Amino acid sequence: MTGFPEIILAAILATDLILVSASRLLHCIRIVAIQGFLLGILPLVLWQWDESLPHAELLVVSAVNIAVKCFLLPYLLRRTMHSANVKRELEPLVGYSISLLILLCGMVCAFIFGSNLPVTNFSVSPLVSPVAFTTMGAGILMIVGRRKAITQVIGFLVFENGIGIFGAGMMLQYGLIVELGILLDVFVLVFIMGIAVFRISREFDHIDSDRLNRLGDFPAEVTPRTGDDK
Amino acid sequence: MTQGSFLFADFPIIAALILLPLLAGLMAFCARGRHRLVRFTLLLGAVTHTLLTGMLFFAGKDQDPIYKVTSQWLAFDDVGGIFLALTSLLFLAVAIHTVFWLPPEEKVSSRHDPSGAPLMRDHTFSACLLAFLSMMTLVLASRNFGLLWVAVEATTLASAPLICFHKGAHSLEAMWKYLLICSVGIALALFGTLLLTLAAQNLPSSSLGMDSLSFHMERLHPGWFKAAFIFILAGYGTKMGLAPFHTWLPDAHSEAPGTVSALLSGSLLNCSFVAIYRFLNLSPSALRPFCDGLMLVLGLISLAVAAFFIIRQTDYKRMLAYSSVEHMGIAAIFLGLGMGSEPLAILHLCGHSFIKVALFLVAGNILMAYGTRSISEVGGMLGTVPRNTVLWLIGLMLIGGMPPSPLFVTEFLLVSSAPLWLGVTVLVLLFAVFCGMVSGFLKMAMGKGGVLKTTDFSARQAERLWFIPALLLLTALLAGSYLLFSYELMNFWMKS
Repeated sequence: MTGFPEIILAAILATDLILVSASRLLHCIRIVAIQGFLLGILPLVLWQWDESLPHAELLVVSAVNIAVKCFLLPYLLRRTMHSANVKRELEPLVGYSISLLILLCGMVCAFIFGSNLPVTNFSVSPLVSPVAFTTMGAGILMIVGRRKAITQVIGFLVFENGIGIFGAGMMLQYGLIVELGILLDVFVLVFIMGIAVFRISREFDHIDSDRLNRLGDFPAEVTPRTGDDK
Repeated sequence: MTQGSFLFADFPIIAALILLPLLAGLMAFCARGRHRLVRFTLLLGAVTHTLLTGMLFFAGKDQDPIYKVTSQWLAFDDVGGIFLALTSLLFLAVAIHTVFWLPPEEKVSSRHDPSGAPLMRDHTFSACLLAFLSMMTLVLASRNFGLLWVAVEATTLASAPLICFHKGAHSLEAMWKYLLICSVGIALALFGTLLLTLAAQNLPSSSLGMDSLSFHMERLHPGWFKAAFIFILAGYGTKMGLAPFHTWLPDAHSEAPGTVSALLSGSLLNCSFVAIYRFLNLSPSALRPFCDGLMLVLGLISLAVAAFFIIRQTDYKRMLAYSSVEHMGIAAIFLGLGMGSEPLAILHLCGHSFIKVALFLVAGNILMAYGTRSISEVGGMLGTVPRNTVLWLIGLMLIGGMPPSPLFVTEFLLVSSAPLWLGVTVLVLLFAVFCGMVSGFLKMAMGKGGVLKTTDFSARQAERLWFIPALLLLTALLAGSYLLFSYELMNFWMKS
């Protein structure tokens, strides 16, 4: 069973692999934009153009999805990147080749796990759940394994995309109002996070979030204040 | 289930409840620089919300709202209504406190630390507070699991900037953790919501409406529902502060100013509780023991973690934050005990909200007076800020569950009605928490005086702000006494 859906899902899988091994932020942002576009057209391709189904709703959701995830959010991220003046992720906590390896292992697990899930009449392609889980895993990996705050934002977007792939692939609909609400939330979230990243870069002179560790329960372990404070 | 058949479903009022605070927030934001107008707008928004809540209850329940399109999206059931009233009243109290707290805070913080971080401008602060109120109302009102998710995420977004009131490195860190951890957590809940759709795929109307789902709940696919429940619990549990997912909570509550911590602890945690409660009520009877067991385990872990961190705590606001984790754990245990104890969970949360809001407001006053959150640096409060100290100690008594407190009633019923092993464990953990809090609070109240004198500007300003916390504590005391001597409880005690 190979067709358009499988091609798109395979392309999404490829974007995941590139994302976890890319060091230049601009590159990452572009890949996320491509992933957003693929996610946006996925429901259109999967849809069997049946008369009984609500077409207008689907088209609107798809269009807004592409507009937000492919253009608006990458634009915001790029602006944040320039204002915080970072170009690349220099010393990730988990190296690029190792994260690629982890993701590949995760992918194998996702395929094994995904093929054991109870069958649903709605699932269009057997690839849907493995790809969705892999994408979510890639997002989590980027949140946990990277230092820069902005990479964590990108990771969150990838995670969100993974959930979106699962929803689109299983033909699940929240309804128009809820879909738009979710997109609005994600947009505002990235907006606020962008402001926060900018302020972190001004306050700490860097946006390495693993050094955001002054708060804790046992102050003895906290690094002295006079360290890299500006 | 007949949950859906009686709802407060007056759509114009509900729409006004959600939209008017937003509008007021916009007004406050536009009135930048005009401080009086900003504060007036904040009060106006809070008072309007309370009045509208009253009107909603006065309008009464609809008999058959289920056939109205609007009430499939927005309506209040009993639980939603109780928490709406609670949120509205507490917000009003906090808003009044804020109006009197903002001007001295600006003066005092510049005296404590002349070159320190600037404060958030009051128009942004008020606008975010009002937006926060509006989104919490939306959480309580939503009758659709998708809309519920949107609203819970929106509360995170509206409250995150509030944590950064003192624009310093620490509060920035707290805000970042709050945003990232809660957003990832809530994204898990979104995945859970998707799985719920999958579990409901064989239903005649496969929507995420609560009423249609709870009508058909026995026909939900058990495997998918189990997965959905796990993800939802992890997601909304993050927001509610249940233990393995609570890591953002102490940071955010300790860095935020007192009024904001009060709202976060007193209202926001309840909203997430409502989200979990709604979902738990949906579980098919075959899965109910599984879901209850999960709640029980999370509740116990929360209690244990809170006890552990409270005992060696050196920061009094973090101590209060962990105490919130503890009480959320108790509420989760109530839910986990299953049939019949849900009203007790709600009662417990209401009592906790009143007391905790008062305590956080007093903590804000102490922070204003002393300029430090460290327990060891605050000493001899009884001599310098006597009014706040009295409130602080009364609050300690009430939150620890001493007899006239409403929490005493619920905790007593929990310990006495639970199975023996559970009752004993809970009792031991509660005792540990109580000891930790007493030692910290007494160290602050007694002991040698610090550098602060009664005549200092900050101490005098902090002493003026006693009214709202006192009112809240008095309410809690009266409610507790009423509960203690009420007829049903007397009966219950006679029997046991």
